[in-house]
Amino acid sequence: MSADPDEELVRRVGAGDPAAVRTLVARKLPRILSLAVRMLGDAAEAEDVAQETFVRIWRHASSWRRGNARFDTWIHRVTLNLCYDRLRRRREWVTNDLPDVVDPAPLPDSREETHRVERALQAIAPRQREAIILVYYQEMSNIEAAATLEISVDALESLLSRGRRALQAILARDSVHD
Amino acid sequence: MTKDIEDGPAMDAERFAALAEAYGGDLRRWPEAEREAAAAFAPSEAGQAISRHAGTLDTLLDSYSVQPPGKALHGSILRVADRHLVQRRRQRFWWLGLGLAGIGLAGAVAGLALVTVVTPEAQPDHYVLDANATAFGDAGPDSDTIEEDL
Repeated sequence: MSADPDEELVRRVGAGDPAAVRTLVARKLPRILSLAVRMLGDAAEAEDVAQETFVRIWRHASSWRRGNARFDTWIHRVTLNLCYDRLRRRREWVTNDLPDVVDPAPLPDSREETHRVERALQAIAPRQREAIILVYYQEMSNIEAAATLEISVDALESLLSRGRRALQAILARDSVHD
Repeated sequence: MTKDIEDGPAMDAERFAALAEAYGGDLRRWPEAEREAAAAFAPSEAGQAISRHAGTLDTLLDSYSVQPPGKALHGSILRVADRHLVQRRRQRFWWLGLGLAGIGLAGAVAGLALVTVVTPEAQPDHYVLDANATAFGDAGPDSDTIEEDL
């Protein structure tokens, strides 16, 4: 397994180095936040998840040891688990349909496109959404994404294929309605 | 699904389409072991058609950007981190104090044990010397001698 680029930084955070804390926040917060925003489709909830993820990092940094996973994989797993807790609370995963309520306010073209993709992502199964977000937006390799989801690479590819097909279908249906 | 790397992964339209369906049209997201073979296949007619089709969804996905974290969130996370650092420092001092107290207590117990072993046994409190007691024992009148005298 290749070296973990975050290992030394995490060790310094664990030792209570304030500069290392600031570096870690600057390095990881954008990734954690974008993951949570795309998983939840809600910026405010995503911020709460990001804060909770960092609380766990501070708690575990001094005892964190690299096992089979990199630190980045571990924080993705923590963030995804927190997102799942919120999704469970919302009971979102029972529906594969688009939300009934659509914001009636007209949006600029680029914003409208973003909004369409956001809604489509929220409408597919959470496991497919996770796989697409990790590989597409978080730019993880197939091996890292599979490790984060604790599945095989074959299972990851299956999730990705089904997720992309579902997205295509939803977006095509959406554009017909427009 | 992943082909044998040593033999060089085989790439045909079917495999290329399966990978494009999973990872999209950008080869940088494809499995590292298959990228080279995929790049060789991509310029073919079938390769171009598959990439174009996958690229349509990629363009839409690209349009979904997320706002970077604001200063308020950043500041709030750092404040919580500071609190944790202070707490951890306090805990460390507490454990250090406890450790020192433990060492002190252990020293006292060891000292007491040493004193007990080294110091000679003290005379029991109930042994009272009377006027007849000498270094050779009781020098009082011998009861046998008294009987003989009678």
